[in-house]
Amino acid sequence: MARHDNSDDFIGPVRRLLVGFVVFLLLGTFLIWRIDSPRVERFRLAVIDRVVPSFSWAMAPVTGVVDLVSDFQSYQQLAAQNDDLRRELQQMKAWKEAALQLEQENARLLDLNKVSLDPKLTYVTGVVMTDSGSPFRQSVLLNVGKRDGIIDGWPAMDGIGLVGRISGVGQNTSRAILLTDTSSRIPVTIQPSGQKAILAGDNTLNPPIEFLENADLVRPGDRVITSGDGGVFPPDLLVGQVALGKDRRLRTRLSADYGRLEFLRVLRAQPHEDIFDPGGLLAPELPTQDQDDG
Amino acid sequence: MADTPAGKLFAGRCMFVAILLTIIFVQLMPLDALPRRWPWPDFMLVATLVWVARRPGFAPFWIIAVIFLLADLLFQRPPGLWAGLIVILTETLRKRTANIRNMPIGLEWGTVAVGIISVTLIYRLVMSVVLLPQTPLGPTLIQMGMTILFYPLVVAVAHLIFGVSRPAPGQVDNLGHRL
Repeated sequence: MARHDNSDDFIGPVRRLLVGFVVFLLLGTFLIWRIDSPRVERFRLAVIDRVVPSFSWAMAPVTGVVDLVSDFQSYQQLAAQNDDLRRELQQMKAWKEAALQLEQENARLLDLNKVSLDPKLTYVTGVVMTDSGSPFRQSVLLNVGKRDGIIDGWPAMDGIGLVGRISGVGQNTSRAILLTDTSSRIPVTIQPSGQKAILAGDNTLNPPIEFLENADLVRPGDRVITSGDGGVFPPDLLVGQVALGKDRRLRTRLSADYGRLEFLRVLRAQPHEDIFDPGGLLAPELPTQDQDDG
Repeated sequence: MADTPAGKLFAGRCMFVAILLTIIFVQLMPLDALPRRWPWPDFMLVATLVWVARRPGFAPFWIIAVIFLLADLLFQRPPGLWAGLIVILTETLRKRTANIRNMPIGLEWGTVAVGIISVTLIYRLVMSVVLLPQTPLGPTLIQMGMTILFYPLVVAVAHLIFGVSRPAPGQVDNLGHRL
């Protein structure tokens, strides 16, 4: 700072004015965001759309190297890992046999029942570009966006289980809010008891199950799947298993592997068909007007 | 190029920008999506405060405003609020640089800690006034504490690696102006 310059008297006030203006601008942005959130959020997505893909050329090798190092640590236990894998393979072979038999039986039963399976769930696969960058928010940025036909609210899965839902779509990128985020609420069913509940993210790896009608019917190990209540989220997607937390609350052990989110499937969920017609009265045909008169 | 005072200033500012961008970049890397029990300290805030307290010339307010706004947008924070508070905080610190220069490190640390605590509290207060969903209090306090604890460490790193240190009393730049 030119503290002892003659220009000090001149620069000081102008600078102060500029600082005040910038602060006013920043806080004004915040207020506008609070009042008219969608417009500013669109601006945010446009900025992310512009900035993050230009990061990715540098991000990919760095992430790769870090992953390599962590993989290398696991290679150190290669022999033990190999034994484990062999044992697992043995078990898997038995399972495979069982699965084949079940599949055949299932096909036979479906044939008997003349059930047609729902062909509606097709998907777009995206690559995870960045995570949220803040310890308080759990979300990832995918490299698919409006260009690929992504729509807000579609579910995102890894190969096995539900990971989150799309919230915010840019031209080339979209943001998926994970189930662990504090603002994530998903309607779920717990099988086999069929209890309905809400899966509420709370920034821990195992989100708690809330609004459960009868907790006695639910045991740790039960399957948690989405219920599709409310018509926003498609039903019957695997979420995870019930587990009893240390605080004696029922929580969910998620099936998706949150440690390695690399590729996500965004399901093209069709909107629910709504029933608008209250249903007509089934009655014999009314006599016509002129017959009444006569 | 870095021999002239203007060149030195330019190089210092470039380094400051590069460091902040690197911090954003590292935080955005998709290494794991697991929520962690211990949030990491707010490195951007610490680095900015170190630079403002030690070499305010390298950290002009407009760079701070632009980069923190970018971080607000990228990190899904309410845009503008945190950036605005940081600009106010750094400006109040900047006014005291002449005093901070003569303080022992402990006192400097205390001054900065008061700044960090007040900015965190004001942030939470404003968020609750405009009825925004808050981050949980526990991790926020832990993060604030970690940020304060990391200050001397970042001072050491800035001094040893990046050569950002307090100008000695009476030190002048190449043109003979006092720093």
